[in-house]
Amino acid sequence: MSAAEQPTSAVTPGAAALEVDDLEVTFHRRGRRLPVLKGVTLKIERGQAYGLVGESGCGKTTLAMAAMRYLASNGTLDNGRVLVDGQDVSTLSEEALRKWRGGKVAMVYQDPTQALSPAMRIGDQLAEVYHYHEGMNKKEALEQARESLRRVAIPDPDGTLRRYPFELSGGQQQRVVIAMALAVNPQLLILDEPTTGLDATVEAEILDLIEELRGRINAAILLITHNLGLVVRLCERVGVLYAGRLVEEGSAKEVFTDPRHPYTMGLLRCVPRFGMNKTDAALQTIPGTLPALGDPLEGCVYSARCPMAQPVCKRREPDFYAWPGDAAIRGQAEAEAMPPDPAAYSPHHAMPVGESSRHTRCYFTADVESMPHLTPVLATSLDERGGDTDVLDIDSMVRTFKDGSKKLTAVANVSLSLKKGETFGLVGESGSGKTTLAKCVTGLIPADSGTVTFEGGILKSTAGKRSQDALRAIQMVFQNPDSTLNPAWSTRQILTRAVRKLGGAKEGSVRAKVDKLSADVRVEPRFLFQRPTELSGGQKQRIAIARAFAGDPHLVICDEPASALDVSVQASILNLLVELQTKEQASYVFISHDLAVVRYISDRIGVMYLAELIEVGAAADVFDPPHHPYTEALLSSIPRLDFEKQRDRIPLRGSMPSLTDPPSGCRFHTRCHRSLGDICAQQVPPDMDAGNGHTYRCHIPPDELLALQQAGASEPEPAETL
Amino acid sequence: MPDDRPTPFGPDPDLREESMQLGADPEMIELRADAASEGRDLELPGGDHKSKALEADAAATAEQKRQRRYLVKALLRSPTFMVGLIIVLFWVFMALFSAFITQSPTLTDPNISLAAPSASHWFGTDDLGRDVFARTMAGARTVLIIAPLATLLALLWGGIIGLIAGFWRGITDEIIMRLIDVLLALPIIITSILILSLLGKGTAIIIVAIGALFTPVVSRTVRAAVIGEREREYVMAARLRGERSAFVMVREILPNITQPIIVEGTIRLGYAVFTAATLSFLGFGLAPPSPDWGLTISVERVFLQIAPWTVLFPAAALASLVVAVNLITDGLGRTFSK
Repeated sequence: MSAAEQPTSAVTPGAAALEVDDLEVTFHRRGRRLPVLKGVTLKIERGQAYGLVGESGCGKTTLAMAAMRYLASNGTLDNGRVLVDGQDVSTLSEEALRKWRGGKVAMVYQDPTQALSPAMRIGDQLAEVYHYHEGMNKKEALEQARESLRRVAIPDPDGTLRRYPFELSGGQQQRVVIAMALAVNPQLLILDEPTTGLDATVEAEILDLIEELRGRINAAILLITHNLGLVVRLCERVGVLYAGRLVEEGSAKEVFTDPRHPYTMGLLRCVPRFGMNKTDAALQTIPGTLPALGDPLEGCVYSARCPMAQPVCKRREPDFYAWPGDAAIRGQAEAEAMPPDPAAYSPHHAMPVGESSRHTRCYFTADVESMPHLTPVLATSLDERGGDTDVLDIDSMVRTFKDGSKKLTAVANVSLSLKKGETFGLVGESGSGKTTLAKCVTGLIPADSGTVTFEGGILKSTAGKRSQDALRAIQMVFQNPDSTLNPAWSTRQILTRAVRKLGGAKEGSVRAKVDKLSADVRVEPRFLFQRPTELSGGQKQRIAIARAFAGDPHLVICDEPASALDVSVQASILNLLVELQTKEQASYVFISHDLAVVRYISDRIGVMYLAELIEVGAAADVFDPPHHPYTEALLSSIPRLDFEKQRDRIPLRGSMPSLTDPPSGCRFHTRCHRSLGDICAQQVPPDMDAGNGHTYRCHIPPDELLALQQAGASEPEPAETL
Repeated sequence: MPDDRPTPFGPDPDLREESMQLGADPEMIELRADAASEGRDLELPGGDHKSKALEADAAATAEQKRQRRYLVKALLRSPTFMVGLIIVLFWVFMALFSAFITQSPTLTDPNISLAAPSASHWFGTDDLGRDVFARTMAGARTVLIIAPLATLLALLWGGIIGLIAGFWRGITDEIIMRLIDVLLALPIIITSILILSLLGKGTAIIIVAIGALFTPVVSRTVRAAVIGEREREYVMAARLRGERSAFVMVREILPNITQPIIVEGTIRLGYAVFTAATLSFLGFGLAPPSPDWGLTISVERVFLQIAPWTVLFPAAALASLVVAVNLITDGLGRTFSK
């Protein structure tokens, strides 16, 4: 019997799963009061899924922690109540609280490796939950643990029970964490960025699982995420949090298709839509940054960044108006007539917050749909960027590593070429060899064999052997903003050193060049005197880009340059890269696991699977059929922002094979949904030519593949813009 | 807004933990630590754009200063560190100025030999009638010369070896580390006695001997820190700029591993005090009538039963110095690891 059939906690009739009422949370730091959440009111009905979105630092996690009563010791709940299943969380005793957590409310954290104890077997960890909450003996508890693993569709539950967390993949670990959270049939399940850090196909699997479980459990879900696509897939309702304020709330579909707050609109416009390309449209960045904790905010919290802000917005904060209704809300005159009273909150909790209601905290709600597009299209066509001369030509590159006694092939016989001013997007899941390929090109590690021809000359294998000119011409932008800059150096020192070594500039002009670089990446001069630890993630990445451009490079390799950043910061970094490319005519190799981002920024795209480049072609060609079955599966796994266009997902079978022992024949045949049988397992497929320089490695010829893929999928879609 | 709310911080607040509490999200801390704007700022109708920018500027400078002062402040608020520091400073002061405070540590008076502690001789007198208090206070001098210098030598040598081994890895690393394993297998006291027997006594030789014997441990610590740092992206960026290895080691990596090096240094300092005292106890340090603690304990130990104060006070003094150095290590380690 599964745990789902024996609810452990009595359900209070009529009560919502979570009710947050005018919640105000303040942190105290060095005698300063730093308000984190201000007057947040929301309600999640039983069985409902509620998405909470907003940039990092908006207070999303704090809200979840308040709901779990996990607030840190310097955080106080100054006002309001949190009711879970009708019970006021603050009234629970310590003892009751322990039972209550994991019993009535459970949480799944972002990083499964930290949620599982590395020293305990999976079985023991799961059994402990049943032992503690249900008082089962060891045998029963283990039996239930096995059952719970089966529920989250882990292959080989018996084997998994005996394993330690490190023996499982990230996706499997997250399944275990979800199994643990659902063990005691909670009323409320909080998912805090449950798929961040997982690969696209694994993310899709976890989402499938959550979606499927929703049909079987009666828990309400609070999903905290920065990925709007997840909310579209999972949630009925969504709340948009900005600087501790709920600025918009409503049904997910309505909010995302017809946003009525400039911040929601801003978020939606700065995410690359599926199929969007830099030459057609630009990502609309949100100007400025999130106010710091404790910054005084006058009027509307968003007014400092809002492109529609009027004087009234600065003077008095708008109420949480119902929409549509409240007579078009242009309550400008009314608001202006009222004396500003920043100390008093408007009575938000009086608002009826139900299934159908929709609220937005803006005076100019009706104008949001015509919010101006401030960022112009930055990219010119490939021809204008150079486009016809070859810059880089990689010929049959191989790189292996030693894995114990085995040989691990990280890059297997990869050939590709790149033109001047072109962006070559490299996609594939982690472990597919993207970064290794990049490191071999830059010479950070030598390739085992194969040649890299750069502007007509063959490059030496390592950076140490290359001439200063070759180094100058090929630079790299790294993924992690926290380690890309030397924390011991000031920003100006970092850029000065780069200009001296790479720019070949004379002493007097170094300063001028550094100033120009920082202006090009839009870092204000005052930040040049600071150390990287004092900069925001986006600023660090800008400096890293400036450093790469110090010697006017011809090729810049961008290894996930925006993956660690919030969507609005990501948009500004992507735009900056596009702008610099247009100006400097540099070529890019752009590595990312985010397909929409790659599609946006790339002219051509290469798809890697298990160390092989299995498909290459113009960006649009690769994204549309006929394309490699792996690409097809990968594309189907992205959570999309458009409600009507959710594709049927093509699940990949099994898990990623090991690189030390790749499958015979076609490397993808073990997981392929279009496998032809023996031929795929025995013969290495040829590179099929689909025209226009588009090739893919498969036994199925283009016309047949096109027929197969068009039968299953919808029409090729134009990019949609808001 | 005036704040009369008591802050829930303990006496030993800690930036990172605090920041974690603030958001549980490292990115949030980062974003919020810095009010600065990025990209274009909007000129709002009726907005006070300029004064906002100035405010942010002032806030950023203040933040910078705060960051810089933070470590020092945290250390000053750490009781462990402060107690250790006060004791060490006390002995440094005595080593320098005890001559002006106490009577001469070598003044003998046969009439009062082995007198018990009294108002005139707080710690009693020894067999030659010398004032034990004066001798104890003056006895810190040799140890306080030998131990820090030996530690600095060990840090210098160990730093160089550790940087090279950790940065180059490969066969260089392999050879260096195997040699270090061999050196670590040698018992420190016996080896130093052998060195001193071979090279002769003398403060300089003791310093070099202890420094050499501590080098392997230091180089291991430095190597580990370098290995953690060398795979970071800023090091890769330096290599892509064509920087020479020496530059990368000294200018890029070294400034980022000072904390483990400082902690290791204070740990070694404690052991060096210990080793120096042991060597002089064994007769490899100064000769009588020096008031050196190790030597005094060695010479006076025959009177331990009839006049225990002749031994116990210098021994306690030695112990207090070792404990104090360890307290400093502890305080530093805790503050750094936060």
